[in-house]
Amino acid sequence: MNLILIYLGKILSKLINLLSLGSGATWPGHIALNLNPNFIKENIRNSKAKIILVAGTNGKTTTSSLIQSILLENGKTVFRNTSGANLLNGIASSIVLNSNVLGKLDHDYAIFEVDENTLPLTLKEFTPDYLVLLNLFRDQLDRYGEINTISLKWKNAISSLPKSTKLVLNANDPQIAFLGVERNSLYFGLNEKGAKSIPSSADSVFCPNCNSALNFSDVYFSHIGKFKCSKCSYKTPQLNISEAPYYPVTGSYNKFNILAAVLVSQDLGFSEQEIKNGLVNFKPAFGRQEEILKNGKKVKIFLSKNPTSLNESLRTIRNAKTLLLVLNDRIPDGRDVSWIWDVDFENLLKSYKVIISGDRAYDLGIRLKYADFNKVRVIESLSNAVRFALRETKEKETLHILPTYSAMLEVRKILTGRKIQ
Amino acid sequence: MKLVIGWLYPQLMSTYGDRGNIITLQKRCWWRGIDAQVLSLDVGFKESEIEKCDLLFMGGAQDTQQKIVSEDLKNKSKVLLKLISAGLPGLYICGAYQFLGNYYKEADETKIQGLGILDLYTENPGLKHPRLIGNIIFDPKIQGEFGMQKIIGFENHGGRTYLGKNVKPFGFVIKGFGNNGEDETEGAIYKNTFGSYLHGPILPKNPEFADYLIKASLERKYNKKIKLKKIDGEMEQKARKTVAKGLNIDL
Repeated sequence: MNLILIYLGKILSKLINLLSLGSGATWPGHIALNLNPNFIKENIRNSKAKIILVAGTNGKTTTSSLIQSILLENGKTVFRNTSGANLLNGIASSIVLNSNVLGKLDHDYAIFEVDENTLPLTLKEFTPDYLVLLNLFRDQLDRYGEINTISLKWKNAISSLPKSTKLVLNANDPQIAFLGVERNSLYFGLNEKGAKSIPSSADSVFCPNCNSALNFSDVYFSHIGKFKCSKCSYKTPQLNISEAPYYPVTGSYNKFNILAAVLVSQDLGFSEQEIKNGLVNFKPAFGRQEEILKNGKKVKIFLSKNPTSLNESLRTIRNAKTLLLVLNDRIPDGRDVSWIWDVDFENLLKSYKVIISGDRAYDLGIRLKYADFNKVRVIESLSNAVRFALRETKEKETLHILPTYSAMLEVRKILTGRKIQ
Repeated sequence: MKLVIGWLYPQLMSTYGDRGNIITLQKRCWWRGIDAQVLSLDVGFKESEIEKCDLLFMGGAQDTQQKIVSEDLKNKSKVLLKLISAGLPGLYICGAYQFLGNYYKEADETKIQGLGILDLYTENPGLKHPRLIGNIIFDPKIQGEFGMQKIIGFENHGGRTYLGKNVKPFGFVIKGFGNNGEDETEGAIYKNTFGSYLHGPILPKNPEFADYLIKASLERKYNKKIKLKKIDGEMEQKARKTVAKGLNIDL
């Protein structure tokens, strides 16, 4: 049965790609799951691959890519679900596409990134060897709900995991670190000076144990930092890692992604040099600080999909001269654009040439008007906006593009003439 | 002229970009030469502080945060009742709007007492009933200095609110759900107090309503007619058209 589903899925995927219909990353899995609800369970059970599951609001794709890069560099075979296809149908599709002619998965490792709601469902399908949890920020409240609700669902799902699953957790996110209490967990985090106070848009400022206020001594961004409860004994746990041998992507948020990947690799037994080789040869994932050359000018894309990720993108590109912001409100972006008011444009936006586009370009225009940026150019058509922004970018300068998710896919298509599959 | 804007629980009750409402009120004052100050009223604030305010704002939040706030508000219900009854202008969004009512019944039938200042109640019909989520347009029942266009925003709430006799609806839904998705009402008006489910946030894309609140606060404070200078709203108009077009509504 599963062999038929795998062949069917492979043919379907080829057809979808051939006809440029899109969604080739989810349909084969969607159909396989409809015809056999146990498709994922059965195929994973029959595979000897070690499984690494990655979840969190920001950084899933980058962290998965980093782990993959280290494994591949050291001669291991790996398969992953496509970035963005992070629901069960995306996992099932990756199984379809990566099974061999006998319908078997013969890779050494499988890395799956899953979205916030899918993590509990995934843990019902199989037990991962590693569960990497990065962070929880407000994101698409219309789709995911509030972060307290998510962390409660995660806690319940994790409580039924056997001891053999290693939790790899962000020690500097109070909600995430708390998931490792009462379990043997591995912690990554920073051990450096940070800001003295948390910004107004921070989400987790209360103790997940007793609901009292948390005191932060060093804040790296949003609510990520060194914390201690004002009432009970809960505080930042002891770190297993705080420095990496090499940092292939910039920004303090990426330090956490890199540390998570290195910690997993260390625990898998790779040496410092082996890990470093993987990091040095790392190529950023689509739209995550990805560089594209267009008309002799460098374009750098920073996917910016919620207040924290847009804040951190702005912080990372401080020296930029020309900036294109793209705000869409489609399903993958979240239909509610209220979040742009939680972005600290007032303090982070410098004297760039700013161009705005996307479905909700004018909402962003109002936001910047209220941050006293009056020389903003709004161009509704995205391809015109990209063309204009490239013209405005001088030779040897870099055009920085900060798009939401669906906007990032569109921007890439305009720049490369290809869709992502 | 001076205006003190009291922001109730900015740390706790600001989850959906609601601080955009504060930014909008303050900037629209500044652009007109009105000295607007924002006073943060966090957990444990004093009565003397809220009594300094000419306009109040409170946004929505997550459940944990709302519980902490509801504890603190228990001691403040008298002063709030006094101020709101005396006509102090204010805007209360989503969770804050629900707080002002008589009670909130959770999905598991637990009843949480409200402040009982506005004659309304809210019930969550349970997880089997979907949250009311999406873009919304409604026709407000107020008139502003520069007219009053339809109000546009985004709603996202599980609770259904039902109005009693002593409050008026803020307006009537043209597209979207509003208070409960049944009776076409959205929000509530009591004296100068406005409750609404609209995020977006509500004020930046509905500048006439922002100006209505500013004018009402100033007129009450200085006890005279106030004329506000007009501010260009081209960007706002275009943003409104985008949302209206998506809902197949002509503005």
